[in-house]
Amino acid sequence: MAQNARSRKADKVVERMGRKLTRQMVGSLVGCVHCGMCTDSCHYVLANPDDPTYAPAHKADQIRKIFKRNFDWTGRIFPWWVHAEDIRTDADLEKLKDIVFGKCTNCRRCSLNCPMGVDFATLNRMARGALVSVGIMPEGVAIVSKDQWEVGNQMGVLPQDYLETLEWLSDELENEFKDPAARIPIDKMDAEIVYAINPREVKYDPRTISDAARIFYIAGENWTMPSEGWDMTNFGLFSGDDELGAAVAQRVYDRVIKLRGKKLVLSECGHGYRSTRCEGPNWSGKAVPFVIESSVLTMLRYIKEGWIRVDKTKNKEVVTFHDSCNNARSCGFYEEPRELLNLLVPDFREMYPNCAENFCCTGGGGAMSMSEYTPQRLKSAKIKADQLTATEAKTVVTSCHNCVDGLSDVIRHYKLGMKVTQLVNLAANAMMIPEKVVVPVEVPIPAVALPLAGFKILVVDDEPDILTFLAAVLEDQGATVIQAVDGEQALALTVREKPDLVTLDLSMPGRNGGYVFEEIRNNPEITSTRVCIITGKPELRRLIYERPVAPPEGYLDKPVNEDTLLTSVRMILELKHPHGNA
Amino acid sequence: MVGFITDIENMDGIAYYARPDLTLGAGFGTAISTQGGPKVQEALKKFGSANVTDVVATSGENLKARYILHAVGPRFQEEDSEEKLRKTMLNALRKAEEYKLRRIAFPAMGAGFYGIPLEVCARVTMGAVREFLEKAAELEEVVFCLRDSRELNVFQEHLQKMRG
Ligand code: SF4
Ligand code: SF4
Repeated sequence: MAQNARSRKADKVVERMGRKLTRQMVGSLVGCVHCGMCTDSCHYVLANPDDPTYAPAHKADQIRKIFKRNFDWTGRIFPWWVHAEDIRTDADLEKLKDIVFGKCTNCRRCSLNCPMGVDFATLNRMARGALVSVGIMPEGVAIVSKDQWEVGNQMGVLPQDYLETLEWLSDELENEFKDPAARIPIDKMDAEIVYAINPREVKYDPRTISDAARIFYIAGENWTMPSEGWDMTNFGLFSGDDELGAAVAQRVYDRVIKLRGKKLVLSECGHGYRSTRCEGPNWSGKAVPFVIESSVLTMLRYIKEGWIRVDKTKNKEVVTFHDSCNNARSCGFYEEPRELLNLLVPDFREMYPNCAENFCCTGGGGAMSMSEYTPQRLKSAKIKADQLTATEAKTVVTSCHNCVDGLSDVIRHYKLGMKVTQLVNLAANAMMIPEKVVVPVEVPIPAVALPLAGFKILVVDDEPDILTFLAAVLEDQGATVIQAVDGEQALALTVREKPDLVTLDLSMPGRNGGYVFEEIRNNPEITSTRVCIITGKPELRRLIYERPVAPPEGYLDKPVNEDTLLTSVRMILELKHPHGNA
Repeated sequence: MVGFITDIENMDGIAYYARPDLTLGAGFGTAISTQGGPKVQEALKKFGSANVTDVVATSGENLKARYILHAVGPRFQEEDSEEKLRKTMLNALRKAEEYKLRRIAFPAMGAGFYGIPLEVCARVTMGAVREFLEKAAELEEVVFCLRDSRELNVFQEHLQKMRG
C-alpha cells in the first residue's frame, strides 16, 4: 500500500537507501538513545539554541523514520510505536533536501561525540546521494557535479585553459629563476611525484601552484603534473554520489599509472585528501598501486631532510591554524601540519578547541556551492568567528582550499580583518634560495618593461577606496586605467574605450555587475572583452556562472591583495586563449 | 575514443545532452558556451523549450564542429528511460541526416550526471547507431567521444558483443 502511494522519485529514493545500507549505517540508524550528548557539538545548534530541528539526533531521525518504515520489521508492523514514517511526495523529498544539504556540513563533529558510535554524517551523505540520484539537489550541487562528471573537474576548467595556465606559470618561473629548467613538467613519464591539485588553484589562486612549483624546483624534485585526471577533489564526497566518487578517483589513479609515477602528491585540500587517499579506493573498488601523500608531508620531509632550507622569520605575522574537518576528524591528519607550521612561522597560536575537535569552517560538505543556504551557514559560523577572534592572530593558516573560501567568507561577514593562507604559501615564502640558483637582483625596472604596459583596463566598483586601490596597483605596473563607479558608466566605457580587461564588482546600486557582465557578453562588439569579477560575496559566483553566456576569464574575492590581483590580471591578459574567447 | 568532445577535429556535428529548457548550463554546456560563443545560446532561445526525445540543431559558431545537435534525453531515473534514450538517439541521427552531416560525435549520452547506467547507455546508443547507419544516406561515421577508460571499457565490451 505504502509503496503505491509514493511518487516515482520517492520510490527510487527509498529503493536506493535500501541498496546503500551498510552494517555501519544500520548501527547508526538503530543505535541512537537520544541522550543529547551530540547536540552542542554541532555549530548549527550553537547558533540556533532554541531551534530543536538543528539537533543532530533530530536531523538523523528524519532519515531514521524512513528506514524504520521500510526496512525495519517493527516499523513495518507498528509504525506509530517506533515513529516510523514513509516519504511519499516530491514535496517530502524537497523538505529532506533542505535538511541534509542545508542544515549539516557533514563535518562529523557530532559523530565524534556520540558515545553510541552513531555516525550521522554518513547517514546524511547517504540520504544526499539518494536525492541526487533522482535529480533533487541544490542548483549549485548540480552545476558542480555536472562539471566534474563531464569536464573532469569541479570548476569546469577546460583542458586548454588548464594547460595554458600551467604554461604561463612556467614562463613566470623560468623568468624568475633565469633557468630554462625551472618549468612545470607536464605528463613526464616515470617521475617520482605526480602532483594533483584543486581546480580552484587554476581558476582563482594560481599562486598556490607556482609556490608549489618553486618548492619542487628548489628541492630538485623529479616531478610532473598530469594533463588529465589532475583534479584531486571529488564532489562525490559531498553530493553522496558514490558513482561520481568512483569515476573521479579512478581518473586520477589511471593517469598516475599511465605516467608510471611513483607517488601521487595531493595539494592542500581536506576533502580531496579524504576522497583520493582514503575513500577513492573503496568507491572505485580497486587497489591503488602507488603511494598517495599530502603535500604537507612532502614539504615537511624536504625541510627535515635538508632538500630545502627555510627561514621562519620571513613569515612575520602571528598565525593560528584551522583544521579541515576532512583532514583532522576523518583522516586523523593534524599533527603533521602543525609540525610543518612550527618550522615556518615564529609565532603560532592554537585556537580552541583544535585538532579533531575543531569546529567546521562552515563551508564544508559543499556548502559553499549552495547559495540558497548562505544566511543560515553564516549564522552558524558565529562559533568559528569567536574561535578565530580569541586567538588574536592576524592570519589564519589552513591546509584546505575549501576552508580558505569558507574562512574568508566568515572573516568578511564578521568583519574580523584577518588573512587566510596555506602552508604552501608560507613554505615558499620562508624558503631560502640557494646561491647556485640565479635569481633576478632587484634593480629598478625601466618603464617599458612594466608588465602591464600597453594594456587598457577598466576598473568598476562603487566604493571609491577600492577603485583608488585597484587603479594605483595596476597603473604602477604600466596599465592605462579607466574607472567607472556604476554599471551604466561601465557599459558605456566598455563600448567606447574597448578595454583589454574589465574588473567588475558585482554588487553595485542600480545596474549590478551581473547585468553588466551579461550585457558585455551579449553585445557582439565587446563580447570578447576579458572580465575579472571582484566581489566580497562569493555566493554570487553561482549567479555569474549560471548565466547563459561565456563565463568570466577570472574571479577574485575581496579583500584583494596586491600580489593576487597582479598575478590574476597578468594571467588573464597574457594567456593566448583565455577560455577560448580570443 | 577518449577525449574532449569540443576539442576533436574534423567533425560535422557534435551532440549535446540538453535540458528541456535548452539552457546550456554546466559541464559540456560550459565548453560549448565558452568555445562556441554566446550566439549558440541565442539561437537556442528561438526554440524556447523542448520535450524529452526532441533534438534541435544549431550552428557550432566558433566551435570546431559546424553543428551542435541538442538532444533532450531522459534524466534521473525517469520512467521508460531506456526507450526514451533510444528515441532521442534516433532523432539525433535523423537530424544529422537532415543537415547532411557525414561525421558526428556523441558523448556517453545520459551517463554520469543524469544517471543512465553506463551499460544501458552503451547498449542503447550503439544499438541505435547500428540500426540507423544501415539505412543512412549521408551519415558515414559516428564517433563516441568518452571521458575516461571506465566509459571506454564498457563501450568496447559492448562493441565486441555486437560484432560477436
Ligand atoms: S550522542 Fe549519539 S545517542 Fe546521543 S543523541 Fe546524539 S546520536 Fe543519539
Ligand atoms: S555532521 Fe557537523 S554539521 Fe552535521 S549535524 Fe553533525 S555536527 Fe552538525
